[in-house]
Formats: sequence, C-alpha cells, structure tokens
Amino acid sequence: MENKGPENILNVDQERLEKRREANQWAVAWRRFKRNKAGLAGLFIVLFFVFIAITSPWLSPYPQRSYQTLYEGEAGQPPSLKHPFGTSRSGLDIYSEVLHGTLGDLYVGVGATIIAVLIGLAVGSIAGYSRGRLSDILLMISQIFYTIPLLPLILLAARIFLILVAQGFGLTLILILLGVFGWPTIAFIVRGEILRVRELEYIQASRALGAGRGRIILRHVIPNILTPIIVTATLMIAGNILTEVVISYLGFGDVNTSTWGLTIQEGYTYIRTEWWTTVFPGLATLFAVLGFNLLGDGLSDAINPRLRD
Amino acid sequence: MEGLLEIKGLKTYFFTEAGVVKAVDGIDFQVGKDESVGLVGESGSGKTVTGLSVFRIVPQPGKIISGSIIFEGEDLLTKSEEEMRRIRGRKISMTFQDPTTSLDPLYTVGDQLAEVIKEHQRELSKKEAMEKATKLIEMVGISEPRIRVNEYPHELSGGMKQRIAIARALASGPSLLFADEPTTNLDVTVQAQVLELIKDLREKQKMSLVMITHDMGIVAEMTQRVQVLYAGMVAEVGETHSLFKRPQHPYTEALLQAVPRIDKRKELRVIPGNIPNLINPPTGCRFHPRCPYAKEICKEKVPQLELTDKGHLSACHLWRDLSLSGA
Repeated sequence: MENKGPENILNVDQERLEKRREANQWAVAWRRFKRNKAGLAGLFIVLFFVFIAITSPWLSPYPQRSYQTLYEGEAGQPPSLKHPFGTSRSGLDIYSEVLHGTLGDLYVGVGATIIAVLIGLAVGSIAGYSRGRLSDILLMISQIFYTIPLLPLILLAARIFLILVAQGFGLTLILILLGVFGWPTIAFIVRGEILRVRELEYIQASRALGAGRGRIILRHVIPNILTPIIVTATLMIAGNILTEVVISYLGFGDVNTSTWGLTIQEGYTYIRTEWWTTVFPGLATLFAVLGFNLLGDGLSDAINPRLRD
Repeated sequence: MEGLLEIKGLKTYFFTEAGVVKAVDGIDFQVGKDESVGLVGESGSGKTVTGLSVFRIVPQPGKIISGSIIFEGEDLLTKSEEEMRRIRGRKISMTFQDPTTSLDPLYTVGDQLAEVIKEHQRELSKKEAMEKATKLIEMVGISEPRIRVNEYPHELSGGMKQRIAIARALASGPSLLFADEPTTNLDVTVQAQVLELIKDLREKQKMSLVMITHDMGIVAEMTQRVQVLYAGMVAEVGETHSLFKRPQHPYTEALLQAVPRIDKRKELRVIPGNIPNLINPPTGCRFHPRCPYAKEICKEKVPQLELTDKGHLSACHLWRDLSLSGA
C-alpha cells in the first residue's frame, strides 16, 4: 500500500501505519500474548517439557524402568552428582524416570486431548447445525458421558483391558480411555459456540451479501469458535496429565512404561526417609500442569480480539 | 414509476415446536426504480422477515410458503441457490440492525470489504480489492481511510461500524438496498449522520431503498412511500406525505401519535397491548383487540386492501367512517 498522497503528511499517521501493516490476526495475538508474563512463562514451561520429552531417550542415563543402580550398589541414595534426583530403594534412578515419565505423560495428555477434541468437534458441530431430534439425542448422549464418574470408570476399564492388552500398550489404552470419555466438554462448547455464532448478524450479513455456505463456515464460523476450543484443549491437557498421574499412582496404569505417577507410587511408602523418590516426579507433575494452565489462560487472553490493547 | 421489485402474496411461516408462526401472511409490496420506500411496523410485524424473504435467507425453522418475488422481471423464488448467491450483495443488498455484531470481529474492515468485492468480481487481485475497499471507506465519510482499512471492528465506534456496514452493502453497486433499522443502535447525533449518508449515497448511486424501521420520524425523513405492516399483514400503503397527513388506518394513526413531537405540546400516546401471538392471530382484522374504533365486523371479517385515494390503500373496514388525525 503506497502512502504518498497528501492525506498522509503527519508523521504520526505514518508510524501508526507502519505498525498496522502486518497486523494480521495472529501477529496481533502474538503481540498481545508476549505482553502477558504468566502466559509467556507457561509457554516456556510447556516448551521445556516438550523438549525433555523428545530428547528423553538420549538424555536419560538409564533406560526406562531400570533397577540398574541396585546392582551398582547405589539404591536408596539421596540426590548426588551421579544421581541428580537420587535413587529409589528398589534401584530406580529418579532423574531418568522423571525424564522418561515426561514422554509418557505428555503422550497421554496430548493424545487424549486430540481424541477428545476430534470427537467433541464432530458431535458438537452436528448437534449445533442440526435441529430437532438428532440434536437432542446427541446432547443427551453427551450429558450421559459427562455425568459418568470418570476416574472409577477408567480405573475399572484399565484393569479389565490391561489383562487383554499386549505389553507396552497400556499407556495408549489409558490415552484412548481418557479421550473417549473426555469429549463431552468440547462437544458442549462447540455446540454452544455454533449456536451462538450462527445466529450472529455477521453470518446473516455474509449470506445476504452473497457468500456461499462453504466460505461462511470456513471463514466466519470455524475461526470464531476456535478460540475457546484451543483454550479448553490446552487446559484439558493439564487435566489429562493429572488424571494419568493419579491412575498410575493408584497402580492401575501401565507398569512397564515410566510415568510420574508410577514413580510416586514406588516412593510414597518411604516418603519420610527417602523424600526424593516422590518429590521430583511430583514437582514435574506440578510444573507441567501449571505450565499448560498458564499457557491456556494466556492464549485465551491473547486470541480474544475484543480485549483491547 | 417503473417497477424494480414486486412482491405478491408472500407468506413466510416459522414452523416452531409451539406451532406455526405466521410471521408474514400474504404481503404485497412494490418498490419502483430509484424509489425509497419505508417498511414500518412494531417488532414482530414481519418487516425484517419480508426483507430476509427477498434474499431467501429466512433463518430456520422459517420457510417461504407461497407468493412471488419479482425482481427485475424475474421471480427470485424460482432461482437456484447458486443464482441467488450471485444476486445477493451484487443486485440487492442489506445492512443490519446492530453494527456491533454485523461485522466479523476477527477480520479487519478492509478484509471484510475486500471479501464482498472479490465475491462478485473474482478477477480482482487482493491488492486491487483492498484498494477498492479503501475507496469505499472514504466514500462513506470515514477519515483516514488508509489507516481504518487495517483496523478491526472493535477499534471503531458504533457509527463508524454502521458506515462500514453500509460500505460493505454498497460494495458491488446494488440497485436495491434494504436498510434494516440502520440507526436503532446508534446515538441520536450519529443517527442523523448515518441517515444523511444513506440518503446521499442513494441519490448518487441511483439506487432504490427499502427502509425497514419502526420510527415514523425516519420514514418522514427518508422515504417517498410507506407501507405499514401489522402482525404479518399490510395495514396501509401510501405516499409518505399523504399517509402522514391523512392516515386511513387506526394503526397508522396510533404509530404517528406514538412519536414524540417537540413542536406540538401533546400528550404522547402509546398503543395499548402487544403485537398478537402469530400462532393464533386474532380473527378478522388482526388489529381489532387494540383498536379504539373496533366494531363487530372487525372481529368477524378480514379486511381487504381498498383504494382510499390515488395511490393510497388501507386495510380497514371503517376507513370511510373514521376521520383519523395525522402528524
């Protein structure tokens, strides 16, 4: 865009113009997000954990669920240079376990959320677009799924299926269970948002001005319902990680894969004497959940264009 | 006057769970070339639904049951959706009541104008469309158009948003504009400016205008002809001047008396009661439960539109016997 016309004599305007030139939606959101200290901290925490998860197979001194230190005669030791987070009485290197657990727990947290979002989007948009009986039935199913007490059900299902499932598939089983039972939250939001957005005047205005159905859905409906879904999904990851930790801690998880909950479970009996076995995976859980929550809140503030700079 | 839009016997019903709402129940409506017509009535009188029916965008569970909508010689009700899509925005256009919600909050005003421009002129590049958008913003009297073009709706005032909505509606030079209560959500001072703008652009672009409103003051200001709707039916049609002076329907009289006047010290009269339930509308004349002049016949027989004067029609059994006071 050229601005050589006489209407742009004032330098102030020129400056404002410069600033606005690349002010597309995401650039604006990023600018706003950058200013949010808590959100930024959340982003760094999440990125840190993602980095750890990806590199854990190489960074960890010991393989998963290895009681190697027992044979080295270094079991049950407090944090030291060789074992930064100490070792458990049974011989686990806690540092390695926390690193491996990061991969396991992020896998469950993110994977379950993806499943929940996909099912929730499908069910929610059908319920939002259709009228009458189909919408009612879908809503009823969502509510039934929503009212089922999740944790006992997953514990029960995990116990039943773990016997059937081949080794190493246990974590994926928990992931699927969490996703399959976690979607109603997303479905409710999607349905409500579609109901809200489809009645808004700008949807009607686009129709009245000649926009086709596909363009309206892609350009005006979906982007406008995306914000709460992204935010909810981010918060959901935190919730799913926490639930996985609880499941593992209660001993219903996959005993062949490292997770934070499993390590905590191993150490809780000796928490008075060997605190490091429980504290480090506990802190990892705390920070991961905190990180995703801060990120979610930050995103919610940043993406919402109605909040002025 | 040459006809541009001619609606005959339009019926648009909403099939709700509580029953069939007869929102528009047999309305005739004409707009001539280069004419500006007011479509007047309370909320729920069917004026907006009439407008949406012309665009064939009546929201669910509404449906056009019967009638014909002849626009430039062709019946819009027989057009395919694809053909309609090319007419909407290009030939007939609309501005909406609430400027705060009629613009998508996620896109800059330039993007939204360019979207409509490109929809109807696909050969234009993005840059050319944006250039045109800037010109449109200038046309509707917004200063610093080159800056505004990159702003989001939330950065604009209500009046500016409505101006942008008008610019968007006029982007493809339509021959007919439906303005649905364009000033209802604006400050009084801004109202006058927006009305002036519409008037001005109408004259410049040689465009016909349908002013959908409940405000008789706006009607007097903006239109040459008025059609008064009540509960989904036509109550009265006439030239604005004669209709204001000698209304021939008690509902029109009541509407005129409900307008506050600064020059005449007169008590402000309100119309008693509410617009009737359109699932089970009153028998006979739909206005009779609220009409101060109602007689036995009004309860029994549906009044037909009768010519009371040249170009003036009234759907009242008693128009001959009443001498109603105008504005």
